Amino acid sequence: MANGPLSGVRILDLTHVWAGPLGTRILGDLGAEVVKIEPPMGRGPGTKPPPGVGIFLGGDAGEDPWNRQGVFVKLNRNKKSVAIDLKAPSGRETFLDLVRVADVVIENFSARAMKSLNLGFETLRDVNDQIIYIAMPGFGTTGPYSHWVAYGPSVEPMTGLGAVMGYSPDEPRNSAIALPDAIGGVSGAAAVVTALNRRRETGTGAFVELSLHEAGVSFHGDFMLDRQLGQDPKPIGNDHPAHAMSAVVRTRGEDEWIAVSCRTEDERERFESIVCDGPQNIDKHELTAALQAAGIAAGPVNITPDFLADEQVEARKFFVELSRVGQPNIAFPGNPIVIDGEFDHPDWQTAPLLGEHNREILTGWIGYDDEVVDRLLRDGVVVERPPG
Amino acid sequence: MSTRVLEFGGLAAGFCGRLFRHGGAEVIRIEGVVPSVTDAWVSQGAVDAFLHAGKQRLAFRGRDQLLELAGSVDVVVAEGMPEELEALGWDAIDGIRVAITPFGMTGPRRQWHASASVLLAMGGYTYLMGDPGRAPLTLPGHYTEFQSGQYAYIGTSACLYEGQDHSLDVSMLEVVLSLSQMTTVMWSCNGDVRSRHGSSFGILYPINLFPCADGWFHVNVVPHFWGPFTQMLGRPDLEDDVRFASSRGRIDNKDELDRIIFESLGHRTKAEVQKLGEQARVPTGVLQEIDEVLADPHLAERNIWCDINGMQSPSLAYRFDGDLPNDFIVEPIDG
Repeated sequence: MANGPLSGVRILDLTHVWAGPLGTRILGDLGAEVVKIEPPMGRGPGTKPPPGVGIFLGGDAGEDPWNRQGVFVKLNRNKKSVAIDLKAPSGRETFLDLVRVADVVIENFSARAMKSLNLGFETLRDVNDQIIYIAMPGFGTTGPYSHWVAYGPSVEPMTGLGAVMGYSPDEPRNSAIALPDAIGGVSGAAAVVTALNRRRETGTGAFVELSLHEAGVSFHGDFMLDRQLGQDPKPIGNDHPAHAMSAVVRTRGEDEWIAVSCRTEDERERFESIVCDGPQNIDKHELTAALQAAGIAAGPVNITPDFLADEQVEARKFFVELSRVGQPNIAFPGNPIVIDGEFDHPDWQTAPLLGEHNREILTGWIGYDDEVVDRLLRDGVVVERPPG
Repeated sequence: MSTRVLEFGGLAAGFCGRLFRHGGAEVIRIEGVVPSVTDAWVSQGAVDAFLHAGKQRLAFRGRDQLLELAGSVDVVVAEGMPEELEALGWDAIDGIRVAITPFGMTGPRRQWHASASVLLAMGGYTYLMGDPGRAPLTLPGHYTEFQSGQYAYIGTSACLYEGQDHSLDVSMLEVVLSLSQMTTVMWSCNGDVRSRHGSSFGILYPINLFPCADGWFHVNVVPHFWGPFTQMLGRPDLEDDVRFASSRGRIDNKDELDRIIFESLGHRTKAEVQKLGEQARVPTGVLQEIDEVLADPHLAERNIWCDINGMQSPSLAYRFDGDLPNDFIVEPIDG
């Protein structure tokens, strides 16, 4: 477990996909004890996928593909795993015992999912009136859209971004990188720390709701205010309304580019004098260096090997290598909150195996005997691998 | 919240302060301390209304004023270039403080010139957006700045919870790098470089923006939604059509599938398409213009709008049960 200002905070993490795990990763990096509560099939089946399908550590699904999924491992460092079937009566009771001693429960299911398990906020509050419950449904738990199926890319054009992104007003575009999930994930972590501080002042827990839709809308409120002030924002490609010139410019090589922002006409003239022979004849890193030296904001359009090798990123040790025995060492994006100049993270742990901490948490947090844990394992209520 | 926050700098610091203010903290903002490291896409009036409503705003009168105020608050939030912050006496400030800079307070490129577009490009986002064969697209607006402000808020709030003083350093470039969906693991695990596909996802289809009678709609049909999507199209016969039976097949036959989608849904209005998606239980969204977002009935029923100087502004992304949106005014700059 990582050290940090949230040490001692206990979080039961039922989130999945991207937004929720991103938020809880931030909290785990800051020292919270994040325990993933995973359904037995939450990481997929216990069988190997066809060759070439999926993203696995080392490019190899191995004998335990559910423990080697690249995206999962990236998102779930500094967390523990308890795998429980919440639909089983004893699984539900075990979960409620965990809630009794936890600070936070966070989930990103559909609006009705937890209530359908009889594990909604009211039920959890009955066992722990200090519990902070964060719900992250796509469109919220109320309102005419609350039952819609929500995926980040489909929510995105409804946040205000759709009105201003694209090559032109006739050529709108989605980001295709599910921005509401990224916004919602970081907002989820913000919601948790806010709730923890608020509980200090009020003495009680809280139900906190965060919809991906509203998270996305909250990031574009400035455009909405500008509209009400008489402006009419539209897609303008890579231009910028406040710059003399802003563009993504072709450089030497296949699909190589730099981003350039010339705030003033003077900067634009300097840019044009530097690229007078055509930017497509210049390497993007060389051109970036020349423009930066001339006082112009410029940077290469990087792909992964580019930014992994970036000297600034390397100097600040942003990418962190984590692994366990039997798995390859891979560099993962770190946490951009650097505390007291500490760039090394010897205390960080790679993502847990499925159910790796069943016994540790059930005996350590809630005092279950080993015999009780063994029975839950025998009954398949608690698992260490997907069933089947 | 009984917290007092001092804030200065641009959009990222402003967003961090906004989160504190809407959470009940007292926020003092000093205007004009350092130039903004990035530039706003919107008017100053919109920036002030969205970010600074409800804050006490002071004119900058010098280093002594700043340091005196810094000593009287619980949290100091600053955004600027490292050398500017250091010249102001950043290292002399005790307590909980966070510096938001384009590339970080340390490192060989800490003083590089930046814009949001440059940071998104260097952070790996830009390459993924826009059409293949064309210039990639940057993001309009202030995603980089606002995410940086959120991280600063999270870090300082965690320190408040702990009750210990810390100095935090948030690099906007690292913020972008931290928010990759699968870009890094595609490379590290498979040696693949993730590429751009317009509004589509590339390896799964149909996921795209499609035209309709009065605008555009988006569907996100990952494999287990294919059957329901054929219902949405009114073409259940397609569910077992060998051309579209697999993800690979749907990509290989994209042009024909696009033609079918347009034939089935292109003449419908956004509202009709949304209804069909709702009925079929397919992830569906419509491209809303700004006016449509402001008038959206779901957002209205969920009571997300604050009144800022008589205008609608969204409240925070997260809501505590029972809380109402905060109505603030934009205070004039004192001094």
